Amino acid sequence: MSQVVLPIVLPLLLAFLLPVVMRPLPGVGRWLGPLLLVYDLWLLGQAWPAAGAAPFSVAIGGFAPPLGINLYVDSLALLFALAVQLMGLLLWPWSDGEEAPRRQSLALLLIASSTGMALSGDLFNIYVWYELASVAAFGLVIDPARAASFAASLRYLLISGLGSVLTLVGITLVYVRTGTLNLAQLAELAPGTLTGPLGMGALVLMLLGFGVKAELFPVNHWVPGVYASAPARISALLAGVISKLAVLVLARLLYLMQPGAEVAGLVTGLGILGMVSGELAAWRARDLRRMLAYSSIGQLGMIFVAFSLPGKAGALAGLALVLHHLVVKSGLFLLAERWDGALERLRGAGRVSPLAGGLFVLFALSIVGVPPLPGFWAKLMLMQGLAAEGGWLYGTAMAVFMTATVVEASYLLRVADRLFAAPEGKAPRPAVGGLALTSLLGGGLLVALVTVNPLARTLDKVAGVAVDRDGYLLHSLPRERGRVGEGGDPGSHSPLTLALSPRGVERERGARP
Amino acid sequence: MRRFTSLLFAGGLAFLLFSLVATLDFGDPPMRIGSGILAQAPAQVGTANIVTAVVLAYRGIDTLGELSILFAAATAAGLVLARPGRAVSAPKPGGFVLRVGADLLLPLLVVIGLYIIAHGHLTPGGGFQGGVILAAAFFLPLLASPGREPTHAGLSLVEGLAGGGFILIGLLALWQEGAFLEPLLGTGQLGALLSGGTLPLLYLAVGLKVGAELSALLARLMGEGHDVGD
Amino acid sequence: MMLAIEPILYAGAIGLIAIGVAGMALSRHGFRIVLALALAEAGANLLLVLGGFREGGVAPILVGGGNTASMVDPVPQAMVLTAIVIGVGVQALAIALLIQVKEHLGPIDRQGLRDAMEADIDRHAGLPLPESLDRPLSREGER
Repeated sequence: MSQVVLPIVLPLLLAFLLPVVMRPLPGVGRWLGPLLLVYDLWLLGQAWPAAGAAPFSVAIGGFAPPLGINLYVDSLALLFALAVQLMGLLLWPWSDGEEAPRRQSLALLLIASSTGMALSGDLFNIYVWYELASVAAFGLVIDPARAASFAASLRYLLISGLGSVLTLVGITLVYVRTGTLNLAQLAELAPGTLTGPLGMGALVLMLLGFGVKAELFPVNHWVPGVYASAPARISALLAGVISKLAVLVLARLLYLMQPGAEVAGLVTGLGILGMVSGELAAWRARDLRRMLAYSSIGQLGMIFVAFSLPGKAGALAGLALVLHHLVVKSGLFLLAERWDGALERLRGAGRVSPLAGGLFVLFALSIVGVPPLPGFWAKLMLMQGLAAEGGWLYGTAMAVFMTATVVEASYLLRVADRLFAAPEGKAPRPAVGGLALTSLLGGGLLVALVTVNPLARTLDKVAGVAVDRDGYLLHSLPRERGRVGEGGDPGSHSPLTLALSPRGVERERGARP
Repeated sequence: MRRFTSLLFAGGLAFLLFSLVATLDFGDPPMRIGSGILAQAPAQVGTANIVTAVVLAYRGIDTLGELSILFAAATAAGLVLARPGRAVSAPKPGGFVLRVGADLLLPLLVVIGLYIIAHGHLTPGGGFQGGVILAAAFFLPLLASPGREPTHAGLSLVEGLAGGGFILIGLLALWQEGAFLEPLLGTGQLGALLSGGTLPLLYLAVGLKVGAELSALLARLMGEGHDVGD
Repeated sequence: MMLAIEPILYAGAIGLIAIGVAGMALSRHGFRIVLALALAEAGANLLLVLGGFREGGVAPILVGGGNTASMVDPVPQAMVLTAIVIGVGVQALAIALLIQVKEHLGPIDRQGLRDAMEADIDRHAGLPLPESLDRPLSREGER
């Protein structure tokens, strides 16, 4: 199963080589990235049944964790890795200009690093992938035609740099106290060593640091500028997918370290503040893209509230919200590409292009949570989780959540209303750009609508894996064997592994001198 | 007000960190993975410099990520600075002494850089340190006579191939041994120049990559506006 | 002689972080903010490498059959190498962005940066500029 490393490494390889290849062969080069992502999807898809049956760990460099770095492959990590690669493929920055190789290299780096964030089982390694994703994002959000994107990227870089300092300090504190970086070993040691102020302080520092990308409340003021000035596809990718990877990292840390009620309460509080600030700002926004940017802050606040709930119910609600937001926000940002500009200008735009207008209404209703749509089920799960938990904090969260939903309905339906209003004065701008991708996302949403039961069952399993701390320990660290995830029984190797490693399987894995 | 809250925040952070650090056992770290690596590295990896074993073997994928970050930064800087519209006044060339001095230093810097890369598994130093020196060698003549155009095509070729080489060595290990970046070619005699298996090769790739990335970053910053590297 | 060096070293690292964070919050000019970020990163790196310190430890390099038992922890040293390189990349990119922002938006002080960005987004969206922003943006606020 060691080929799971390939979806991280191959995009890096291609990213390095793309500028070299694309100069003499631009025609070939432009297809390489998407083809590679398809191959990656196939590889990850192959690992899905095995990871679903039992999570496994792959030691990189053949050094068993905790000494070496391992990839920890469970259905939670695979789900996010698949989502990144799939959305990366869908939102691929097709471009032909001078800057195409650079843009596509950066996109590959972003996808590879996000996959690494999802799969890695080592705290510092996650930090490295996180930083790579950040740096790639700073470059990708540049739209040369728009001066604002430079300023937005700079502000993003500065807040992100501050966040990375905080994360690094947090990691240092954890390392000096425990002497390890392996997540499983940390989880094992946490109850004895990371309780009390030190563990809490370290975790809060990491929370703030990783929270930058996850649009967590006090460190998210980069969001509106970047999403409003970046190319729409990049906004869709960052808001829809990459922010969720940071959420995954934080959720992993919370579930594995079990930091206690204080930190969970802090996450809930920050989530509530995110909901309040995001939704109110979205309500006041005067153009579609900034509205969507602010509303994604609000929705990530909801997701943080969900993951701060103890137990499986919260994880399930969080996952459902994450997947729903991933599809819907990407779709909305793609629509915003054609409806870039002030809300006043949208009057009648939906009549010009009924399909686009219809898709907008579909996404908006699902975000608000109108019953049969998937968004409703996701929000219902969160409400059930909050109600089951009780307490004043979760009670407040519930109240804010309901209010936020009303506010969401107000501003999204206001736009929808305007889209289908009679155009006044000059004719609305003609719609540009294809709708294939947005329709695909809308179709995905409708498919989710009819398959809501099997989906919920799968998510339920994944949520069970997410909160299964003992399972993480069991499958991650070596107990009897010298190596983990290798050479257990030959049956566990796929044909591809056999093809890839002629000597690998026969060799006794623990035999290294 | 803003000054006050900012100072309060920074002071509070410092106080928090002090009080947290004060609870740590300074000078006696637990070293759970540290001592394991110290005990096993000489036999398992065979480098005299154990930090190199950590950088390239135990945490090799971190190093790959780090190279990618440099590459991403250089690429992004190229993208950022590609937007035209800067009127660059041609800088004055340096004097005779400066130019000749820079040209004389160039071979020395290259030799020192390569030496430090080649001995990275034995002595302090290695790909990153040597790579920085290589970048200095590349850049010194440009600083001395700014009119000279850097060789962008070669730079981007080294950028791509050195990084590609690192990953290909790793993939070869995946194919041969079943684990990405597993050291190949045995460990050799501890302390010999040719020891540590593929690690010196990896460090050579790292050195070239770091040198090329830093040179590209500097060249793009210096190129100021006109597109560099394409 | 047992002069406690540890608190001084830690104070240096934490002081650098605090100075950097305060500088990021207080500086007006963009370039100073980037420098403050570099300071804070240096402090974090120092703290990290201090984490591997061992009383009486030697550098983790085997010379002439030395034993490994008395060596300091090599892992923070490897991590700090990574962290430094990350910092270099981010700072270089920040400078590149500063150059372009100054070139195309003018002001690179904190408030000017934000105002110019918002104004440019508004302009692009076809929104009327609010009162406070309805002023020439060219080179004002540059210090």
